[in-house]
Amino acid sequence: MKIFLIFVSAILVHNFVLQRFLGICPFLGVSKKIDTAIGMSFAVLFVMVLASSITWFLEGILRALGIGFLRTIVFILVIASLVQFVELFMKKFSPALYEALGIYLPLITTNCAILGLAILNVQLEYGFLEMLFHSIGTGVGFGLALILFASIREKLDLQEVPKSFQGTASALITAGLLSMAFMGFQGLVKL
Amino acid sequence: MVVLYSALLLGILGFGFGALLAYSAKVFEVKEDPRIEEIISVLPGANCGMCGYPGCEAYARAIVKKNEDPGKCVPGKASGVEAKIREILKKKVE
Repeated sequence: MKIFLIFVSAILVHNFVLQRFLGICPFLGVSKKIDTAIGMSFAVLFVMVLASSITWFLEGILRALGIGFLRTIVFILVIASLVQFVELFMKKFSPALYEALGIYLPLITTNCAILGLAILNVQLEYGFLEMLFHSIGTGVGFGLALILFASIREKLDLQEVPKSFQGTASALITAGLLSMAFMGFQGLVKL
Repeated sequence: MVVLYSALLLGILGFGFGALLAYSAKVFEVKEDPRIEEIISVLPGANCGMCGYPGCEAYARAIVKKNEDPGKCVPGKASGVEAKIREILKKKVE
């Protein structure tokens, strides 16, 4: 039951983008089209789950050896390698998506959402299964926020917006409203 | 001990991930026409966009794949880039 609550809370209550405000760069950068948003969501989900699983094991080793101060650099090493791997994979099997994501794909490396998740898993002292569902939930939550936002922006492009609000300005206002809407989920899950 | 452990752990991790990436770079290799690389090295590399493509790489790709006119590079006109590109294009694809 607790695992299910962690999962739901990671998607809705503690949504990484809209409640913790992590990973805003790809959230604003690749949300112009739903297709690229979906591709980005899956790339992030994949990297998040794999990176936090590996870092969870590495944290055990770090603690056993008493070198916890290396946590950040070790985690970044894992994340950077995984992103490189995803990039190679995507270049081979989906060149169109690779072109569409452009610079935002390698930028997952320095995405605070992924390092944040890995460090949060350690700080909350989750067990393996809890960590796994927390990571999947976070990835799904990121995808949900990104796809919701992209679909709103696609609709917004068809509307007549005052000139001073066009483009990024209205996108930022939309993101703020979406974040406020997600505040309604606060108190849904008590952990 | 701390120094030894740190060096050892980071060394092993770095080596492991490096090997994995080297291996997957081989497995997921995208075969491209070698002439594209050669044309990129001949072009000025200014990425000015005067040819109508977003950067020299895109232009080189268009020359090889879409039979684009190789004389569109404005900054390379003086140093005879067009002739060099035509020379490369004459080579057979192995």
